[in-house]
Amino acid sequence: MIAYLLRRLVWGAVTILGVLLFLFWLFVLYAQPEDVARRALGEKAPPEAIAQWLVNHGYDRPAVWNPEAPLDTRLFDHLSRMLRFDFGASDADDAPIAARLRSGIGPTLGVTLPLFAIGLPLSLALALGVAFFRDTYIDRLGVVVCVLAMSVSILLYILGGQFLLGKLLRWFPISGFDPDPGLALRFLALPVFVGVLAGLGSDVRFFRTVFLEETGRDYVRTARAKGAGDARVMLRHVLPNAMIPVLSAVSLTIPFLFTGSLLLESFFGIPGLGSITVEAIQNNDFATLRVMVYLGALLFIAVQVATDVAYTWVDPRVRLE
Amino acid sequence: MVQDPDRFEIVLTEAYPQILFWFAMPFTSPVPWEAIAAYDGQEGRDRFADHPVGTGPFRIAHYAKRSRIALERNPTWWGTEHPEWRAPAAIYPTEGAPGDAEAGLLPPDVVGQPLPFLDRIEMRFEKEAIPSFTKFVQGWYDRSKIPKESFDQAARGGTLSPEMQARGMRLERTVMPGTYYLGFNMRDPVVGHDAGDRGRKLRQAMSLVVDAPEFQRVFLNGRGVTAQSPVPPGLFGYDPDYRNPFRQVDPERARRLLAEAGYPGGVDPATGRPLRISFDTGDPSVQGRLRYEFFVAAWRKLGLDVEIAATSYNQFQDKIRRGAYQLFMWGWIADYPDPENFLFLLWSEMGQTQSGGPNTANFGDPRFDALFLATRDRPNDAERMAGIVAMRDLLETERPWIELFHPEDYALLHGWLSQVKATGLTVPVFKYYAIDPAPRAEARVAWNQPVRWPAWAALAIAFAVVAPAVVTWARERQ
Repeated sequence: MIAYLLRRLVWGAVTILGVLLFLFWLFVLYAQPEDVARRALGEKAPPEAIAQWLVNHGYDRPAVWNPEAPLDTRLFDHLSRMLRFDFGASDADDAPIAARLRSGIGPTLGVTLPLFAIGLPLSLALALGVAFFRDTYIDRLGVVVCVLAMSVSILLYILGGQFLLGKLLRWFPISGFDPDPGLALRFLALPVFVGVLAGLGSDVRFFRTVFLEETGRDYVRTARAKGAGDARVMLRHVLPNAMIPVLSAVSLTIPFLFTGSLLLESFFGIPGLGSITVEAIQNNDFATLRVMVYLGALLFIAVQVATDVAYTWVDPRVRLE
Repeated sequence: MVQDPDRFEIVLTEAYPQILFWFAMPFTSPVPWEAIAAYDGQEGRDRFADHPVGTGPFRIAHYAKRSRIALERNPTWWGTEHPEWRAPAAIYPTEGAPGDAEAGLLPPDVVGQPLPFLDRIEMRFEKEAIPSFTKFVQGWYDRSKIPKESFDQAARGGTLSPEMQARGMRLERTVMPGTYYLGFNMRDPVVGHDAGDRGRKLRQAMSLVVDAPEFQRVFLNGRGVTAQSPVPPGLFGYDPDYRNPFRQVDPERARRLLAEAGYPGGVDPATGRPLRISFDTGDPSVQGRLRYEFFVAAWRKLGLDVEIAATSYNQFQDKIRRGAYQLFMWGWIADYPDPENFLFLLWSEMGQTQSGGPNTANFGDPRFDALFLATRDRPNDAERMAGIVAMRDLLETERPWIELFHPEDYALLHGWLSQVKATGLTVPVFKYYAIDPAPRAEARVAWNQPVRWPAWAALAIAFAVVAPAVVTWARERQ
């Protein structure tokens, strides 16, 4: 297993290097720093201010090769900073990116953790319920509702939720955020509710399929033959055996717990990492954007390795070799 | 030159009366050098930009630039510490502009009172316009702009809707000191200076078919003042009675001018085809295209073939820098309320392609330059007015710009917020505002009572759907 993990980590490092080189090409070579400077300083900025901005942000140095000082290049700077997690300053307003990430992680986790903690068990429970009542009207209705629910864009959930639950019924504040824990719950309730609702359709349908596949297996028939009741069969036998595909699906969502939901945060005015990313896109803030992409890639690879390890826990038959 | 610890003197090398406006702008606000030295952004310390320290009537209580800024009354403000000075900036004005008294801006119990009136101001950063406006309607914000999507709901035809009136709101209309225009690149051989009389008549003809009031009606909910010259309302040199003869829609005259320019029916005799002109823009969005199509359709009626060249904003900027454009749409909002801040946009020294200045039309006319320099540093007297009128007349004929409109801002205010007068400039005026908190608290409660029955109805439906299946399962089990 250790050899396998080492191999995965080496491949992960190679992938990260590839991501970093791609980010360098995209955000440093392909994007014109003059454009970024003009966007940051405004239309009325004189050419001298633009030139000074380029110097201040290190964009005046050679990109890849500097015969006089081989390490004084933008490529070396980019790689060494990213690997040391020294993210520097935003292109848009010179604010330290690390400080911005620290301020954004709280609000992001405030949305994504409850969303995950409520959404996953609820989806599993509903899927178990629908699978339990297989071939009845509940199952058929459940599938129809799931297909309808997953066909609707999350934007509609957000706007519909804000209009119906915020504006018409006045159950929740329509948007906003407050770091005070008492008030934060009030503001986070609607985005969490909408996020859970938007994810239910696809999750319940997928988990139902997984559970139904398991209920047709021999060990389920054996359990029933031995007198196990319906509830025991579903919870003690089907659920644990269905965990591998569930784990695979869940592992894909974990990096987004940290990078945030772009749309939810943006529409609900939550100053989290998703909002930071959207803002960076809107402001051509490539320094922030490449940090967000880099962190997303790191998280993705870390979660993939962790998921591989988790497979061996949920299913002792799995061996990592 | 420093005179004493509290005073310094600035000696100008040439006359520049506009410097007085500079001292009213945020970037000349006095700040303590110790604070700048302390908040240097090094070794984990805040940057000054994230920890501002000033000398105003309010100080920062909470500063999260991206979500929430809170200000609180500054007990060490010089105006508070020295009420006996009765300094003009520290007491509510005793006189105002014409119409201010009628608008209730000079109530006798407030005039001459020490400023500020508010103890605390909370500002929330809202990215999306519609939720922000909804929260205003629910009473959580005291003042709001009107998003496009809610315009008819709030202020159809320039007056407040009955729904908003019933909530005790007021509509605040402010004509901004700004001008939007279509500009010709005067360095272009077809539409610019080098085309001589031919180019001038082409520009005049194109100006005569652009219907700015219709543009305002279609795209701006009817907001804005139709522009006749570069100088916007509220600034010295603006004449509300002036009508630019080339800004009145007259297609017949336009056709005649086009024929005189050598393009009869819009046809370029060199090619035998409609004269092709490129309309360069940095807005490739669908909404942007619709706007530009409005102008293109007007010119098409003259027989001209104007092609919209929409690129990204940065590519457009690049074209502007290289001078590779013919026609563009642009706007300018005043930095300070002086006509010089608009007329310099056509001064040859400010030529965009030549010197990177804001004269994007690259207009260069020695007559205009002489008039501009003669009026630039003058006080607002008759001679300055005569110079501005002469420049206006020159632009009227030369047509480097097709003036469109001066933008107008609509905002809504709740009845509990008073003493608000929009300036259209980025000048902080919170110290004059006053709030009556009791009606606000009552309205917030009254307007935000939750409607609960749909929750019970949803639960009942869910129960009705699931119960039969559970009952059947239980029976089968037995």
